[in-house]
Amino acid sequence: MPVRLPHIAPSSATLRRVNKRVHEVRDPVHVFVHFDDDERAVIDSKPFQRLRNVHQLALTYLVYPGASHKRFEHSLGVMELAGRIYDTVTRDDKRSDAVRDVFPSPKDQGYWRTVVRTAALCHDLGHLPFSHAAEDELLPAGVDHERITWEILQTEMKSVFDDLVPPMKPELIGKLALGPRKAEKLGLQLEFDPWEAILAEIIVGDAFGADRMDYLLRDSLHTGATYGRFDHHRLIDTLRVMPSAPREEGDSETSTEPTLGCERGGLQSAEALLLARYFMFSQVYYHPTRLAYNEHLKDFLVAWLPERRFPADPAAHLSRDDNDVLRAIKLAARDAGAPGHTPARRIVDRDHFKVAYVRSPDGRDLVRHGASPSRGTAPDFPVFERDGTSVSALGLSDVFGKLPTSPDEYVLADSSIRGELEQWLKREREQILDAALAAQSEENDEQEEGNA
Amino acid sequence: MNRLAQDAVLAGLVRRLRDADSWGGETHIQKAAYLLRELRGVPFTFDFILYKHGPFSFELRDELMTMQSDRLIEREPQRPPYGPQLHVTERGRALERRMRGTMSRYGRDLDWVAGWLGDRGVADLERLATAMWMTRNSGGSAHQRAAQVTAVKPHIELADALAAVGEIDSLLEANVT
Repeated sequence: MPVRLPHIAPSSATLRRVNKRVHEVRDPVHVFVHFDDDERAVIDSKPFQRLRNVHQLALTYLVYPGASHKRFEHSLGVMELAGRIYDTVTRDDKRSDAVRDVFPSPKDQGYWRTVVRTAALCHDLGHLPFSHAAEDELLPAGVDHERITWEILQTEMKSVFDDLVPPMKPELIGKLALGPRKAEKLGLQLEFDPWEAILAEIIVGDAFGADRMDYLLRDSLHTGATYGRFDHHRLIDTLRVMPSAPREEGDSETSTEPTLGCERGGLQSAEALLLARYFMFSQVYYHPTRLAYNEHLKDFLVAWLPERRFPADPAAHLSRDDNDVLRAIKLAARDAGAPGHTPARRIVDRDHFKVAYVRSPDGRDLVRHGASPSRGTAPDFPVFERDGTSVSALGLSDVFGKLPTSPDEYVLADSSIRGELEQWLKREREQILDAALAAQSEENDEQEEGNA
Repeated sequence: MNRLAQDAVLAGLVRRLRDADSWGGETHIQKAAYLLRELRGVPFTFDFILYKHGPFSFELRDELMTMQSDRLIEREPQRPPYGPQLHVTERGRALERRMRGTMSRYGRDLDWVAGWLGDRGVADLERLATAMWMTRNSGGSAHQRAAQVTAVKPHIELADALAAVGEIDSLLEANVT
């Protein structure tokens, strides 16, 4: 951070209640990020500072050299955007009568603004070293980075939240930081009232979430893949809380819950966001060489970590970041007898697997499968028409319905066997597909009979 | 249920609801699937959460999206302002035929829910599913559960919430499972 911030004594709660100071740091995406004393206390906490040493895009910098940015600045950016969205949608001129009741009273607006920005700051605290890479195989069963985020908020961050003015409940911050999708996945049995659902959408929503906006803009900037850019200023300026679009003929606005939507003038910006995501998935997030490095990193971690997994305990989690792993990779690459030597050497020497199209029936050490998830279809959201009605975006946009949704899939292999694999594919491809289909049917039939 | 079997049941649900004159949008499928699981024990693997318009499953949403990627169902945009409808493709029908055992096992449940909910509006489905949620998760008298429904869904009138709770109670008493 280029700006040196003034020191705040821990005992200054009374002073902060009267006049919270505003700080600012420069940011390559948002120019400036502003925050007050309370938000600074969160930023200065150990769990948040750890994010300085967690790469946003894992080893992608070995493919896109500029992509060495960290979760730290992304989290600041999500806070900044969440604040901007909150300020926009709570403006008085944006509140139509149909949704006026959902907003908190004016005296509580400042509190909720801090809540949503704090939750935005904290949404990534549980990330493992190198972020998403191979998380499923590197944590105990049933644990993922969202679970760790939740645990950190309830333990390590509790004293920080207690000291804010006014204090904040870790459960509320966690609820908004994770959002309903992750809460469902974690089985947390949380219930979102309409206002909380809107605040969670501001942070992690599929259509306009600040998390999604920031990572696309930031990853695009740092990779140099300009596909990720879109007019987020225009998009944010057109956001508003509004009734959901009618879900069927006869469905009226009075029967629907308020949700986050955009005005008609922002529809093209929303389309551009979706296109940006589509291109970034293809060009960056699931670039086959990145997938290959993920595999090598996972192989190294499995060999290097005690018990072959990261601990789920928050304190142990916070003691480890990318720097520890990078040092271990460097040492293991030099020592042929070290655990994880081979994958470490592949990373250091850039001797990564290459795309080979198909899975080989054997030779696991030389072949891996890499795939993006299904991209999913465009999210539907309401569009605010000039006459004040809510309209389904899918009925207005030609773009949303036409993007490919299928995942990209690769088989990655060591260079030494690529030629052999390609020949094998030419000979066997049709038989492989037929056998896979037949096996799936038989498997299902057997399971059905077994369940009957 | 494994994934292919579940997809076949969902395709069967979409098709039956549309045949029963339901609009058949995602909200309809979400609520019908939840009520099928709670009232008939259809073993969908999805977790539900109380969210917009009542019980909602992001896993079910993802699965519906995946079914679109696999060309088993299609999303048909409608003229503004309405939300899209879902439609089972010929490929989806082929999956139903392929999963004969599964479809014969759950076919009656699907017929039942389509007959019950096919001509009900989406607002009705929201009330019924939320009443079901409160019955399963909160308990209490009918009035208490109805009050809980209106507390989390302020746009639902208490009388409508009471009617929905009463309808769920009647089905549970009749042991529709």
